[in-house]
Amino acid sequence: MLRQEINELLTQTGPETPMGDLFRQYWIPALLAEELPENDCPPVRVKILSERLLGFRDSEGRYGLIDEFCAHRGVSLWFGRNEENGLRCAYHGWKYDVTGQCVEVPSESSNSRFCSNVKLKSYPLVKIGDILWTFMGDQDKTPPFPEYEFALVPSTQTFTSKRLQESNWLQALEGGIDSSHVSWLHSSGLNNDPLFKGAEGNKYNLGDLKPHFEVVETDGGLYIGARRNADDDSYYWRITPWLMPSFTMVPPRGDHPLHGHFWIPIDDENCWVYTFDYQPVRDLTAAERQAMKDGFGVHSENIPGTYIPVRNKSNDYLMDRDAQKRGETFSGVGGIAIQDASLQESMGPIVDRTKERLATTDAGIIKARAKLRKAAIALREEGKIPEGVDPAHHRVRSASVVLPRDQAFIESVPEKLKARPGVRQASV
Amino acid sequence: MTGPIFPGSSVKAASAAELRFRLDYPLAPSRGVRVVALDSGAELMVRKVAETPWTKAKFFVAETAISTQGMHGGPVEVVFRSLDGAVALLNDELEDVDSIIMVASSDYGSEAAATIGAACAVRGIMTAGLVHGDNTELTVSVLRPCAQVLLVPADGSDLEALLIALRA
Repeated sequence: MLRQEINELLTQTGPETPMGDLFRQYWIPALLAEELPENDCPPVRVKILSERLLGFRDSEGRYGLIDEFCAHRGVSLWFGRNEENGLRCAYHGWKYDVTGQCVEVPSESSNSRFCSNVKLKSYPLVKIGDILWTFMGDQDKTPPFPEYEFALVPSTQTFTSKRLQESNWLQALEGGIDSSHVSWLHSSGLNNDPLFKGAEGNKYNLGDLKPHFEVVETDGGLYIGARRNADDDSYYWRITPWLMPSFTMVPPRGDHPLHGHFWIPIDDENCWVYTFDYQPVRDLTAAERQAMKDGFGVHSENIPGTYIPVRNKSNDYLMDRDAQKRGETFSGVGGIAIQDASLQESMGPIVDRTKERLATTDAGIIKARAKLRKAAIALREEGKIPEGVDPAHHRVRSASVVLPRDQAFIESVPEKLKARPGVRQASV
Repeated sequence: MTGPIFPGSSVKAASAAELRFRLDYPLAPSRGVRVVALDSGAELMVRKVAETPWTKAKFFVAETAISTQGMHGGPVEVVFRSLDGAVALLNDELEDVDSIIMVASSDYGSEAAATIGAACAVRGIMTAGLVHGDNTELTVSVLRPCAQVLLVPADGSDLEALLIALRA
């Protein structure tokens, strides 16, 4: 369980909230780059951390993330015209550049200085990899750009998708930390999914349903090691990094790509799940890339033209009880991502953690919550920059390894948990 | 493939408005949690956390592991000392317990840890190990064989968070 006041502290990310302030210390995904595909393309509404914003790309390819609403009469600039290096309000023609600076008020005389005093709030928007990143904190304290490996490898080696999840960000993140559910909820995927099946480690995953855990604190967050019995005298380890505030990686399987997620609050009752797959040393194959686009692995099949999953709560996730009975899926819901989403959304928009009954094996979740709470309080009371802001903390990898039973993963394979250009992932 | 049972029913069932119809009754606290300091470094941390009033947690220091073949059905016994000095026995303290949390800062209590782990495995009692202090590699090697989950490293606030989460 969690006390109510701590649950509120962790789940509320709007302006001026402690957790909202914490998120505003980081570069976070705001859009996929594909959402602003060319100069002067249509603007996109963006809601992050309970702020209504508008993303656009001007005539010279500069990205902007500005207050959605015109300073004049509060009209949404989504209806605006993106033209000649600015976004022009459809109502009276006021025009803004990518910094939110008003550059033209047509009703004023040509030598008027009126518009120089009109500026919308704005945040930087920077393309790194497949993602447009923003920093929504104090612009005088902007940290260096993020250095997550999936965003830095060549574009031929990486793929990112996103989907809407209709729940608070924290219950979505906690699913990414909780390794023990894989042997149950996703058990069929280990045998069927083209991005999971065939790995040697799958048999260990399915053969030992009572994993042991080691939760190891790192500079940027945690490594959560789940060990299962492998062959004689060895353990199969699956090691999940969590970086503050909301980045997780899933341990890989065989030669399948590395993958993971960012869980980004839209508001307190919805979040975006950014999902990536990448190969550190080779291109993704056409078959791998197609499988990701089709929603296999940890991706979702979305309604065309949207980031809303085809299987969603409006259609009961296309629950298939016959497939469940036949053993094709454990829960009756198809697709690993939506198997998670369906259960996490069923908790309600913000789960009441005063009612939960945790066990010692939930120690990873308990520790992550404690680190987030401490960091939010230390930021508020002491101005302490939280872990995970430093790009050095971003250079992590998940891993799956088989080790002799007397060896700890953290001492035995520390280099395998670091992003190393040109070096293959550790995967069984 | 069958369709949804009630089209769109999850939309309503998972809404904020429906939260107020969830059954509201107090969950029982844990049946019991025992926190055992395995060495003097761990004892300091445990004593501090024990100052907070807990409903179902009891705190001990492991003194000695002794052979008591045949007693209480267990192969060996561990003598505990409660924080106010009373003597207790492991096998007595495992009655009506959900979880045992062992706290260690060295390999001093390895024999006690092994005995506690074995006794808990027989009874199906959950075990956690908290590795306190800087001597992590050695301490982890002591706790790994006898705890289902390890926190590395861990301090008093981690123990406190764990006890709250376990409704202790």
